[in-house]
Amino acid sequence: MYWVSVFTEAAVFAILALGLDVIWGWTGDFDLAFYGYLALGSYFTFVLSIGKPVPPVEYIIGWHLPVVAAIVLAVVAVVCVAAVVGAIALRNLRGIYFAITTLGAVSALYLLVENYTPLFNGYNGVYGLVNPGQSALNLTYDGYRVLFLVVVLVLLFLAYLLVQRLSRSPFGRMLRSVREDERAAAAYGRPVFFAKYRAYLFGAALAGLAGGLFAIFISAFNTGAWSPQELLVIYAAILVGGRGNPRGVILGVFVVYIGFIELTRYLPSPASRPEFGPALRQVLIGLMLVLMLKFRPEGIFRERPGVDHGPGPAGHPVSGRIGARAGGGPAPAPAPAAPAGAGDALSAGLAHDGAPEGPGSDDGGPG
Amino acid sequence: MSAALLEIENLTKSFGGVRAVRNCTFSVPEGQVTGLIGPNGAGKSTVVDLVSGFGRPDSGGIRFAGEPLIGKRPDVISRLGLIRTFQTPREWPNLTVLDNLLLARRRFAAESLWRCLARARRIRREEEADRAAVRAILERYQLIELRNELAVRLSGGQKRLLEFARIAAAEPRLIILDEPMGGVNPVLGARIGEAVGQFAAEGRTVVVVEHNLPFIEKTCHQVVVMDLGEVIAQGPFSGLRDNPRVVDAYLGMDQSHG
Repeated sequence: MYWVSVFTEAAVFAILALGLDVIWGWTGDFDLAFYGYLALGSYFTFVLSIGKPVPPVEYIIGWHLPVVAAIVLAVVAVVCVAAVVGAIALRNLRGIYFAITTLGAVSALYLLVENYTPLFNGYNGVYGLVNPGQSALNLTYDGYRVLFLVVVLVLLFLAYLLVQRLSRSPFGRMLRSVREDERAAAAYGRPVFFAKYRAYLFGAALAGLAGGLFAIFISAFNTGAWSPQELLVIYAAILVGGRGNPRGVILGVFVVYIGFIELTRYLPSPASRPEFGPALRQVLIGLMLVLMLKFRPEGIFRERPGVDHGPGPAGHPVSGRIGARAGGGPAPAPAPAAPAGAGDALSAGLAHDGAPEGPGSDDGGPG
Repeated sequence: MSAALLEIENLTKSFGGVRAVRNCTFSVPEGQVTGLIGPNGAGKSTVVDLVSGFGRPDSGGIRFAGEPLIGKRPDVISRLGLIRTFQTPREWPNLTVLDNLLLARRRFAAESLWRCLARARRIRREEEADRAAVRAILERYQLIELRNELAVRLSGGQKRLLEFARIAAAEPRLIILDEPMGGVNPVLGARIGEAVGQFAAEGRTVVVVEHNLPFIEKTCHQVVVMDLGEVIAQGPFSGLRDNPRVVDAYLGMDQSHG
């Protein structure tokens, strides 16, 4: 059951990471408020589904909705909050200024939730969402947990299909143009703020969904269960997997969560120093990030540019190397595109297209 | 002379204590190539920024096809049919050459989040026509073999050509080129001249900000000369040599430098 729980958690975070990647990977905004949306999604799922608070516990709303309806409403609530934060932070702030503003927003939210008990019962938090529907489904505790893992994986897959579809659509391309050069995007008619804003709300909706699932997963939620810093692990996962590539992002979450956080639990600690293992884990995560950034900054799967399989130059087939040179510059080097590092194998493959390929070739890149 | 497509009236803009543009008035006739010249600091690029919405004038008016542009955002102005370039090519570096052109094609309706989710197949089908058009443009600019290459990998000259290919893909009514000849070798310069000629032949209106006077003389129907934020002359290039203010401000200096 331990591994069921590890995989469930990783799958929930993968949904979260997909949402964050739309914001950071596609439009390039380093959003530090994002974990707050997961937390809000969780809190709202609780207060919408666990019924009226019994004193001394206190929280807002206190409805007794079916958990699915609660999650849907929680997503709506999260998007509303993100709409306010995004409207302020995205309008004129870029780069580090945007990041600091969102960090301020999430810190304010954290302090508010922790100290203002009528909202979500302060630091004691909310609880009581234990395996919703277990008795109706007539399942054992373990059976329920396995079923929940399957449900989360299915939702992750649906989220992946959704995000992947957007990623390769004109919408995804437009967001990336904003990331690549905002002024040029505006000069070609893209409303930069509105583009970023839509991506932000879409990402926040996925965070809200992840929050709702997280609520069921841990069945009690308080300020000890989340802090703004946790987001950095999600960023690390995206970086490792491949920023801008939905498949890479999911892989990155599983690698970071299972490979590093869970497997390193088995690191031996001397009896006299029980904190050695956890401390070493932090070191290893940091080391992994440094090594990734040094040797493969684009991540395990790099962002896949749109590949045109249409006809090449009239008459002659397209070769894999850079051919045309503008303005009679120096003759092209007879090498395949760019210095061949590990990552360039893919792009060299992309440059080659000669033979007509099936419609499915859009999905599977070489490698 | 044909009717004015772009009318600039008493435009003024200060940055702190510097009056970059003052009471600048000129008009750009439709279907012609207009050169905007002047020494460094004359305010040419500021005028381009003000016209394209990247800056807001302190006073004055700008009308494009009769419509006032003051207060409009750059993307709104662009959608009216005005495309500008910047002093350095601003391609979208980590997108492919083909994607750069598809973006320049500006199918805004296809970029709706909901349509992309719900009608992905249909949108991809509709895009096929655009892809074909864009491939033809790439062919014309000898970039077709590089279409799946990331734009960041292109050479400086190829990036210049990509800039022009993007404009061709956008099919704008008014094109404003900010120093298209900067750092360009003579062969590529000739191709850029051809490209500008082609835009004009297609009936597009072009404004070229440039220091290269032979280029201006060859490509432009009329020239606007600015100095210290003011328009000091306007008319055909041939007439400028006899204008003492122009010779004083610009041409004389240019001649003395060879």
